[in-house]
Amino acid sequence: METRDRRSIVESTDDGGVSLLMPAPGKVLALESPPGFGLTRLALGMMERVAAGPVVSVDARGWFSPLGAWEVGVDPERLVVVRCSDPVRWARTVAALLDGVEVVHAEVPEGVGGVALRRLAARARSRGSSLLLRPLRGRVPAGIAHLRVEALAVRWDGLDRGHGRLRRRWITLRISGKAVGGTMRTIEIEDDGTNALRVVPGLAVAAPGRAAG
Amino acid sequence: MWFPAWPLRRPDAPRDEPCQAVGDDEIVVAVNERAIAAGLRAGMHRREAEGICPAVITVRRDPAREMVLFDPVVAAVEAVVPRVEVADPGIMLVPLSGAVRYYGGEAAIVDRVIEVLDATAGPGHRVGVATGPFAARKAAELASPAAPYLVEDDAAFLAGLDVADLGVEELVATFRWLGIRTLGELADLPRPVVVSRFGRPGLEAHRVASGEDRDPVPRALAEDRSVEERFDPPLDDMERAAFAGRALAHRMFAGLEGVAPFRIVVEMEDGAGALRTRTWRSLDPFDERMVAERIRWQLRAWIEGRGAGIGGGIAAVRIRPFALSSGGRQLGLLDGHRGSVEAQRALGEVQAIVGPDRVLQARPQGGRDPGERVRWRRWGEADIGDERDSGAPWPGRIPAPSPAMVPPQPEAVEIEWDGGLPCRIRLGSRWEPVRSWAGPWRRMGRWWDGEPVSDRYQIVTSAGAFLCEVVDGRAALIGVYD
Repeated sequence: METRDRRSIVESTDDGGVSLLMPAPGKVLALESPPGFGLTRLALGMMERVAAGPVVSVDARGWFSPLGAWEVGVDPERLVVVRCSDPVRWARTVAALLDGVEVVHAEVPEGVGGVALRRLAARARSRGSSLLLRPLRGRVPAGIAHLRVEALAVRWDGLDRGHGRLRRRWITLRISGKAVGGTMRTIEIEDDGTNALRVVPGLAVAAPGRAAG
Repeated sequence: MWFPAWPLRRPDAPRDEPCQAVGDDEIVVAVNERAIAAGLRAGMHRREAEGICPAVITVRRDPAREMVLFDPVVAAVEAVVPRVEVADPGIMLVPLSGAVRYYGGEAAIVDRVIEVLDATAGPGHRVGVATGPFAARKAAELASPAAPYLVEDDAAFLAGLDVADLGVEELVATFRWLGIRTLGELADLPRPVVVSRFGRPGLEAHRVASGEDRDPVPRALAEDRSVEERFDPPLDDMERAAFAGRALAHRMFAGLEGVAPFRIVVEMEDGAGALRTRTWRSLDPFDERMVAERIRWQLRAWIEGRGAGIGGGIAAVRIRPFALSSGGRQLGLLDGHRGSVEAQRALGEVQAIVGPDRVLQARPQGGRDPGERVRWRRWGEADIGDERDSGAPWPGRIPAPSPAMVPPQPEAVEIEWDGGLPCRIRLGSRWEPVRSWAGPWRRMGRWWDGEPVSDRYQIVTSAGAFLCEVVDGRAALIGVYD
């Protein structure tokens, strides 16, 4: 039974994997890369596609800029930014949001432990909300995220030695976790400034995480 | 005009045994007399009903099939009083005002309508007469099978109803907690107070409780918003017609710019050019799914109903929206508002945890650097005007795509230069080689105020792109393209 499920999940991604990335009700997505790799725009692009109500981002660093969100299509009236860096208040804040908001993007400040994250994951599951976690440092402990997304590389196009400007970027992502049946997949996303979520077709699917030697 | 047991008018629903019809959400929508005698009521959960009366026979609701049977009844009533509106298979709203003079009084029309109902559908109907649709529906619920319930004064009638009759669970629970038990008590509250506490759903509830649901807040739409689909060759297949209905509903809402209709007219032209029309009304604004369903039910009623089918197939389907509310789709009284109320409650709670200055909304304004182009305000507060003119040209503005992270103050960063060109940037403890860059883009600033000149650079490394500025030889990070 389990094998069949696994295969069907992997085979159902004719769109190159973008459906796998989409936040699903009750699921936790871990976005694990330092700032610069483009995961904020990616997360906002996904939220814009799935959220009917407000798009809420919990900003633990205090750096969140709505410009990127507006550019990927989030209506300014729908975007709400909550600034919170204190680990205790942060956990209470995210818990309260999960009760009423269908999808929450939250940077995880330092000092939030695995227990608190597990509790939030359980809450998301019971309320049917989805949670996108972006740790400021380190990784989300195992067993919490349904899908783990890491940026392996980022390339930009449009500028050279002094002239031009940033125009387009490609992010190579490694996705792993239960959503892909315990395997690892590599996909490439092209962000052309408006649509942050176009999957580049034709990238070879990476070999499963374990290799026989 | 309401047939409470309409969903049970089908061959597989026995009359001499307790029987119930359940919707897709497993809530009982109709029960027959035997079931009522056994203690079952519409609105119960299926399991609860089966617990009370284990012998009950359960049938699943099929609105399309119910409409096939109901459409001839509507047509017969429409022959007596024009502009009949269908609210659900088994419920129709008959506007009396226009026909009163013709028939010589309300009572005469009601008698005539009841005669028609008896002749076409048999017994089992309840008739309520009131000024507004909500009051009429509630009056029909209170009417006995033998006599119609005539409401003289809508406001007085509604004042005596329980708040639970609003059918909006979340609001009702809070109303009760606040000591508001009847619609009259709700209507007595000043409207601005209700709106400030409950927002849009509160306003809708207050209007319904005050008997003002007759005219939804009108919003002028310049052009005709009807949508039409023509089929060549004409469709003869129900499934394809239903599919086209979904597409039509989608197109209609795309053209409505966020407003939602309380009333839609479904029109169909058959292969021979004959036109059929039916009006549907909802107490709450229609959403896309509801419209698509109504279209499907109606087409099926025309195709399978009495008078056998449509000559030459379906040549065209047209949907016209009416009674548009400015309330918007998400804020309807029943469907979407739940999410919105819960989200507002959650954000209110968050405001209490982190403080009002930390729950923010923003809107774009003019400016050169990313930090300047955002006008922040507290969540829930009225929009404040621009600090900087968004219509002005702003030469030297950093082009899109914009950084998704902007430090509140420029963050000092170390950049290594080689002959005036950036070659390495320090990110944390690592030095990253610069792969490419754009700039310098000079910003003059208000030199008369002593603002220094700054040079901005977009710098790309293997770890991402960064927006930096250099002032007096010192580099600082002003944005991360995350």
